[in-house]
Parts: sequence; structure tokens; C-alpha cells
Amino acid sequence: MLPKFASVIPRTKDEALSWLSSLENPKIIAGGTDLMVKMRAGKHCSHVIDVAGIPELMGVTEEDAKISIGAAMTHARLSAEGTIVRNARSLALACGLIGSPQIRNMGTIGGNLANASPAADSIPPLLIHDAILTLESQGLRRKVALEEAIVAPYVTSIDRKELLSSVEINPLRGYREGYRRVAKRATWAISRLGVAFAIKEDGNRFIDVRLAIGSCTPMPFRPGKVENLLAGSEKNDAVIAEAIRVALEEIKFISGIRPSYAYKLPVLKGILEEVLRG
Amino acid sequence: MKTINLILNGKETSIEVEDNETLLTTLRERLGITSVKEGCGIGECGTCTVLVDDEPHYSCLTLASKANGRDIKTVEYLSSSGVLHPLQEAFIKSGAVQCGYCTPGMLLSAYSLLLRNADPDAHDIKEAISGNLCRCTGYIQIEEAIKNAAEICKCNTQNEG
Amino acid sequence: MFIGQDITRVDALDKVLGTAAFAHDLKKNNMLFASVVRSSRPHAVIRKIDVSAALAIEGVVKILSHEDIPGENLFGAIKKDQPFLAEGRVRYKGEAILVVVAATEETAHKASDLVRIDYEDLEYVSDPFLSIQSPVLIHDGGNLLSHRKVIKGDAAKGFESSDVIVENTYSTTWIDHAYMETEAGIGYADEKGRIVVASSTQNIHYKMKEISRLLAIPTEHVRVVQATTGGGFGGKLDVTVEGYLALAVWHTKRPVFMRYTREESLLAQTKRHPLYIVYKTGARKDGSLTAVEVNIVGDTGPYNSYGETVCLRAAVHATGPYEVPNVLVNSRMFYTNNPISGAMRGFGVPQLALAHESQLDEIAERIGMDPLDIRMKNALKRGSLTATSQVLNHSAGLLETLKAVEPFWRERHKRGPGSGFGLGCMYYGIGNTGISNPSSCYLTLTPEGRVEMHSGVCDIGQGSDTVLLQILCDALGMEEMGIDLVRGDTDTSYDTGSTSASRQTYISGMAVCDAAQKLKKYLKHQGYYDGKSLKDIYRNAAASAIPVFEGHFDPPTTAPDPETSQGAPYATYAFATHMTQVDVDEVTGVCKIVKVHAAHDVGRAINVSSVRGQIYGGVAMGIGFALMEEFIPGKSESFDNYYLPTSMDMPDVEVMIIEDREPTGPFGAKGVGEPALIPQAAAIVNAIKDATGVSMRQLPCDMERLKVALEKSKEKGR
Repeated sequence: MLPKFASVIPRTKDEALSWLSSLENPKIIAGGTDLMVKMRAGKHCSHVIDVAGIPELMGVTEEDAKISIGAAMTHARLSAEGTIVRNARSLALACGLIGSPQIRNMGTIGGNLANASPAADSIPPLLIHDAILTLESQGLRRKVALEEAIVAPYVTSIDRKELLSSVEINPLRGYREGYRRVAKRATWAISRLGVAFAIKEDGNRFIDVRLAIGSCTPMPFRPGKVENLLAGSEKNDAVIAEAIRVALEEIKFISGIRPSYAYKLPVLKGILEEVLRG
Repeated sequence: MKTINLILNGKETSIEVEDNETLLTTLRERLGITSVKEGCGIGECGTCTVLVDDEPHYSCLTLASKANGRDIKTVEYLSSSGVLHPLQEAFIKSGAVQCGYCTPGMLLSAYSLLLRNADPDAHDIKEAISGNLCRCTGYIQIEEAIKNAAEICKCNTQNEG
Repeated sequence: MFIGQDITRVDALDKVLGTAAFAHDLKKNNMLFASVVRSSRPHAVIRKIDVSAALAIEGVVKILSHEDIPGENLFGAIKKDQPFLAEGRVRYKGEAILVVVAATEETAHKASDLVRIDYEDLEYVSDPFLSIQSPVLIHDGGNLLSHRKVIKGDAAKGFESSDVIVENTYSTTWIDHAYMETEAGIGYADEKGRIVVASSTQNIHYKMKEISRLLAIPTEHVRVVQATTGGGFGGKLDVTVEGYLALAVWHTKRPVFMRYTREESLLAQTKRHPLYIVYKTGARKDGSLTAVEVNIVGDTGPYNSYGETVCLRAAVHATGPYEVPNVLVNSRMFYTNNPISGAMRGFGVPQLALAHESQLDEIAERIGMDPLDIRMKNALKRGSLTATSQVLNHSAGLLETLKAVEPFWRERHKRGPGSGFGLGCMYYGIGNTGISNPSSCYLTLTPEGRVEMHSGVCDIGQGSDTVLLQILCDALGMEEMGIDLVRGDTDTSYDTGSTSASRQTYISGMAVCDAAQKLKKYLKHQGYYDGKSLKDIYRNAAASAIPVFEGHFDPPTTAPDPETSQGAPYATYAFATHMTQVDVDEVTGVCKIVKVHAAHDVGRAINVSSVRGQIYGGVAMGIGFALMEEFIPGKSESFDNYYLPTSMDMPDVEVMIIEDREPTGPFGAKGVGEPALIPQAAAIVNAIKDATGVSMRQLPCDMERLKVALEKSKEKGR
């Protein structure tokens, strides 16, 4: 049983922004896979604004060496979208792992971001692609880097009168890229650890290493010290070992030692070893 | 209240729904289509699966208003011509039906698969039903049924062509 | 010949059409909706209940408490110790206190939320080990529900003559049945004013009796019907919605519908017993077992439910399917204020299998014997004495199941690090333990010239309706299945007992055979086998009276000795061997099940497809039990974190059906429902040990626990 609310279904982005501005206590719904569960548990709002069908929020376009992803793109579509598969492979893989086929048909990247779960699978790939969010409200448009937009677990700096309309990412070509995650069953499970990686190497030298770790710290993060250490480094056991040591230190610095780390840190160590070795 | 216009199991349908109503409730309570089940209410079991524009969705997480302008199919569609669909025949023959509660949702996920992929391999089949839980069968006979039905459907289209 | 064929299930068509009427789908004009108000405390005295805000809501018709119960408030499958509605005291979080009846489901839930209850918290018991010393008495008789022993030979002497002794502690936790259809039903009064309840259930006559006690009305005034039931696994044996519906109908005089939410089912319904098992095994260096000593402590929650049954069955099966000359088992069930533990597929034997199979592998390792060989050496067979000194006279096919798996076992070969193979064997007594548990049915003829079978058996998806038809057809020597099945209704059937203990094919099947013999004799006399049609036979009979042919069967068992449990608690046993191959990812701790070979002695496979279906389903449940399922009170609230295996968690499963015919069973059949599950988790754990060297003795052996154990063992190795 859901609480009482009214719904509006704008046909254009402008209509959506107008509703957002005028309504007292609106919630934006796209796929509904997070919001419906919350509402069943008692979350209240006066209105939902259904943006899932707005054409301007769909589509994946390439422009000025950037890729723009409409916030209402579903995980299913993104996992199969040629531009994403070719230029942001970790994102395509991550989207293909979220939930179940039904969840992937319904859920959107915008929803995944706005929910900002520490375990959100789309976030680490977006981080290594320097994702920038476009947030719109009536008369105003601003861009904010994804890592700044997530301020706490499940909390973003998106104003409740703002609509996330698109996400811009930098394509990465010539990288060995992927997404690894562990979960308690083969599919349809919350990630207990997620690692997005994109590595450019030349013979036995790392040129550019991008990493993002999810489900480990309160927010998914890029271990900047590790990336700096590896950039230009020789690719050998000692360097890899040191990089991993620094990664684990960064995590402990952010979160302290959590009970789950008895599991997560050794696993992360093993995954990073495999990922960096290639 | 809103009036939604949709194609339901091949027929144009108009119905009034509450703003906060789920498609599951609309189908079961207003339209009497009880083949669509509720198993958990939070999109974690699959018994509420329906096809929206031929793609499987969880109707318990779908606002009824989202069905406006869409094509919605429940398991009744599969036999709407008066004859069992090869998937339904195959489920019966392969022992894929035990308690039957997951069956309508499974059939729809399988039907959607065969629309997309006429020649699915074992992995394709497993993945297609990976969002439908079954506590009785262990999935194996369901997967056998889908494979068998795919063969038959292929033969059927070949014969028609 | 219908037996041994893959006869299409009689209920499958409705289910693929989506027209099967499950309890959730039932409706009646003018019906009301009921909802239960439940305790938010584990142990408390109810000081005050204020329903004024709830009653004020428009559409609320009645709010019922224990004071509104005309008859007995206490129910229970074995002991009547559980209140339908709490009387002054609650003993677990989720205990039912009130029933709210309203015009809509939403109103009923809204009103339930507005009921104000003042509790005075009592100290609560959450540790079964401390339960017996606790001054907090959950029931007047003390906190020990049951203590059963198995004593055979002299265990102490047996250990003295052992060359190797292995002792370990094993533990399992609460598991939810997680049937896809939650508890639900509808109640109404018929034209004669009788109370009728149709529900999702595993039994009908038992529920009829409980409703009759609840309302203090004769059983003739109650009718219970089994709706198409979306899974049971033991969770729908106890009274669930039936009592509340009957009470609501009694007071409102209108039809009443109720269904549990998944959250409610997880919170309030019974679970598999957590068992703590201290297991000591002695053997000689040639691999023969000399002694087994087992201490079992179980957490049964605050009410009996099936706690006594699990206590005894776990004790009786503790040795596993092996001939052990000296046995000492102490099995104790303690009350706590934790969730109620009750009947769940296997009744304690899956938990014990984890222990006895791990023990055997460890003994084998110590003496350098192959795990298959040690099982073959000790396997129960014809002429063997079980742990209760029952001689297995017939149908003991464990060796055949081991031999079926043997070629795969001998040629197994590890694919690399993390690859491993494990064996799990089991035996399981068919039917209730050492007590009478009969089944009855009757047959008659119809004017259309068909045989009409009246069956009270609750088919919960395992396929009993179809199996009984197959048995009847062959028993009558019919060439076509000219049988009408009238089923699942106390008005039209005799008591068959519950669908549990894997007993329906064996016991109700034999009752059907018994009735069939009588009908066959009659038909012979009437000339049916000489070509006379049933239609004509009916017409002849209609002149005087249409005869009814009753069938009855009660498996011959003896009550276990109260001190030693010696005796013949079951008339027959099913046997099985599972061989499971795993790939453990040593980086992540994820255990992938690669392949399972499952060999089952079922006596006779009446419907081969259904036997396979049970085994596949049992393997899936075993994978869940071993690797991912754990009900954590307060945390496991729905399926978002209580994980069941999906299609992608399942391996290839090869089923080998062994038929060591049971002479006392219908055409040789025994049972397979619970055996299908019992050995799988044990085989997985043994495979993990083979793959990684790590012994996991606590279930679930999920990826996190396994990884932590792998890390610990690496450290030790340094």
C-alpha cells in the first residue's frame, strides 16, 4: 500500500521543471525501482513527477569529445548501447549487472545516481570517466562533478527542486577497462564490493590508471594517491604491491576499520592485483 | 484519478486509476487479471512480472499511470488465440510447473526472450528468467521447456515462411 | 501402464493459463478484509490495549481479541500451547494480538497501525544454551521443551576401541520457507451457517479440528478447502490465517479475506530450527565406524509447533545412513523468545547431514581412505541395524546410489585451484516418527461411467494429485485414465494426514491401493474386466445403492523407547547420494556450484518428471541453505536481503533414479520430497573442503565467511 499522492506526467523537460518549481513537496520518479520501495515503507510526498517518458532525457550523444547520457536512460539500454560499450565499457558492464532483467528494463541511470547508494554500480564507472551532472531547475542550469554531488550515503547535493537531466562523461579509448563486483548470489544482489577500472599501459609501463571503488567507503571514491603513484610507473610486482597498500590505507583513512573490512580488504587486494596485472 | 488508455493483451482498454495505484493492483483488482501475482511487493520475487512493450517489468513497482499509451501483456495473451502457446505446452510437458505461483511471470519472461532471440542458448535462457524466483523447481525443467519451445517456435516460423 | 510414465500433471494446464485459483485470488461478494496486530516486543506483559483510534476509522467493522474467542485460545500441531491471540503476554516479536476486520485491506492495515499497546517488557531469553538456567520462564513447565536420546550399545567402549576419533561443533541458523505465495485465505458462512475456510495450506482436516476448538462448534459445522497452494515446505502445516478468518466470520457474519505481506510472513511465521551440534565420531583404521556421540541443542522459539518432532527426528537420524554399533545421542530443544522454529523440509535432518557427512570425510582423511569408499564400507543395507536397532528388511538402496555416482567420482579431476568435489549421503524415514499417521480415502462410481476418487491430500506443488491418479489407474488395471478427482475438501474426503514427512505417495498411495483392491474385487464381480462398461455397472448399482470403497493405510511402526529411542520408528526409508562439484574463487570467497550428480533410491518413481522436479528443487534449496540463506531476526525483513538461489545460481544436475522397491509401498514407492534437499548442503561443504582445505562448520558458508576462513588458513599456513 502506497501513501496518498498525486502524479503528474510532463511530456517535456520544461513542463517537468515547471511542475518541480510550482509543487510543494514533489518527488521525481523515473523507473521507480527505488522510490516505489521507499514509498511502500512509508515515505511521503504530495506529488510524483514522472519523467521516464520525456524524450529530452533519453538518448546517448557524442559532442565535443564528450558523451552525454540522458538521465532517463535505462540500465538495459545503456548496457547494450554501442557508444557506451565502445567508449565506457565499465559503465556498460556495470549497468548489465544491476538488479535483474526487469529492474534493468525499469531503472535509470539518473535514478541510480540520485539514490546515491554506497553500493550503486553505475557510480564507480562514472567516476573514472570524470562524470559531470547537469542539474536543471526553472530558469537555471548548473553542472557539478559527480564526486561533489554525492555528499553522504544516500545523500546528494541535488536540490529537491532540481532535475538531473543528463550525465556527461569523457570517453576512454585504448584502455583496458572493466567492472568487477562481488555479491552474495550470482545475480540480482546488492554489490558488496565494486571496482571500476580503466588502464592504459604500454609494454611494461602504466601510462594512466583510473580506479574507482564502490561499496567499501560511505561514498564510492577514486583512490587518487594510487592513481598518481601508478601514472608513468613501471609495471612490476613491487609497484603493484605498493599501489595496493596505498589503496587500503586510503580506505582506512576515509572509513576507519569497519567490521566488514575483514572480508572486503583482502578481497579488494586480490581484485586489484588481478586488475592491475591484467 | 486518471484515465489511462493502453493496449491490454492485444485489446484497446481504457480504465480509471488512482494516482498512487500500482499496475499490479489495477490488473488484479480492477480488471480481475489474477494471473499476475503478488509475492513480495518490492520487486524482489518476479511473480508480478508483466510485459510492457514486450519487455518484462515488475508491476508491483510500476505506477498504473505509467501504463498509459503502452502495450501491456499478461500470460492470458499467450493463449489469446484460443490455443496454447508452445511455451505453455512445453512447460506442461517438461514438468516445469509445480506449485504454479511463479509460472505466469516465468512464461512472460520466456516469451519476451523468444521475441528478442529465436535461438537462445542455455545462458540466454538462464539470464532471461534470472529475475523470476522459483522455490519449487530448481529452474532446470523450466529452462528445458523454454529451449524446447524455442525449437518449436523456430519450426513454426520456418513453416510459415 | 501409468506408473513410471511422465504423465502430464492434472493441475498444470490451469497454472500455465493463469486461471488456477490460489488463496490470494479468492473473492466473495460483500467480503471484508482482516489484518493481524502483532507484538513489537520479544517478551512482555500487555498492560493496556487502546483501540479507540483504530475503531474511529471509517470502514473498521470489528477488532477482535482473545476475549472474543468462544472456544479454546490455544492451538498447536503437537501440543496446544500457542495462543491464536495473545492473552496478556507475548512471547515473541510478531506474536498475534488482535485481528482487525475492515471494509478494505488498506483500512484494515491503517487501523492496525493505530492500535496503541502498552507493554511491560520482561527479560527475554535469546540464547538456547542459557535458556535452561534462566529465571525467565517462557512456559510454566520450564524452558526445556523436549529431550530425546538415542542409546545403542556402549558409546564409551566404542570410542575406546577406535583408532581415530574426530570431534567437531557444527551450527545452522533460522531459514525461511520463502514459498512464492504467502499465507492467505478466505472465510465465509455457507447457507447452513457452517464456517467455511479456503486457504493456502498443507492440510485440511487438522485445520478443521483447530477451528472447531477455537469456536467451540462441532467439526461437522466446519469445512476447510485447500486452495491451489503456492508452496509449503512445512510452513503451512500450522494454523496460519485459518483461525483468524474463522473468528472474523463468526463475529461479522460476512465473508472475510486475509493475506500476509511478505514482511509479515518473514516476521511471524515459523522457521527452520537453528541447531548446534557437537559431534564425536570414532572409527577403526579400516574405516569402519565404531561409535558416534552427538549432542544437539535446538532453539525452538516460544512455542512447540513441531519442535518435539524435530528434536526426535534429528536424534534418530543423527548417525546418518551408516551402520554404527555404538550410538549415544542427546537432542534437546529449548524455548527462547526468538522466532518460532517449526516444520521445514527435512525436520532437522539437513542440519544433521551437514555434521555426519563432514565427520565422515574428516575420518576418511585421517586414515587415508577415499570418501566414497568409507561410505560404501559403512552404508546401511538390507540386514543392517539402524541407530535405533531397526533391521532394514527391504528397500535399502544406499549402496546403489553410491554405485550410481561412483563412475563420476572415480574419474573426477580438479580443474585448478579452488576446484573441489564433495559427497553427501542421507537416509530419511518416510512418515511421522514412531506414531500412527494414517491416511484414508474413498472411491465411488459416477453415472457417466467414471471412477471418482475422493482425496483429502493437499498437493502443494509436488504433484501428489497426479501420482495418486496414476497409482489408482494401475491398481485398477485401467487402460485409460477414466477417473474424476474430487480433492482438497473436508466435506468430500477423509483425513489423509498432512502433506509432510515425504509421506503422501507412500501412505496415501497405499490407502488408494487399499480402496482400489476393494473396488477391483467389486468390478471383477460386476464383469468390468470381461468388457462390461462402468456406465452399465453404475446403472445396475444405482437401483440399490452406489457402493463406496474405502481405503486406509497406517505405516507399521513402533513407538520409540522413551529412554533409548530404540524401535522401528518408520516403515521405510529413502536413501540418496549427492556428488557436488564446486569452483571456489579464492580471491572473493564466491563458491560456484558447477555440477551435481544426485542419485536417489525412491523405491519406485511413479511420475519420473515429478521425481526429477523434486530433486532439482531440493538441490536449489540445498544451495540456498549452504551458501546464502540466513534469517536474521530484525534484519531479514523481506527478499531484498533474504536471498534465494536464482536460475543463475543453479548448476547442471544429473539425476539418477534408483528403484529398490519397497514391498509395503504403492508399487514399491517410498518418497523423495525431503530427501531431495537433505544431502546437498553437506556435499557442498565437503566439496569446499576438498577445494580449499578449509572446513566450514557453520552455515551459511557464504562468500564472506568463506573468504575470512581462507585468509585465516593462509595465515596459519605461514
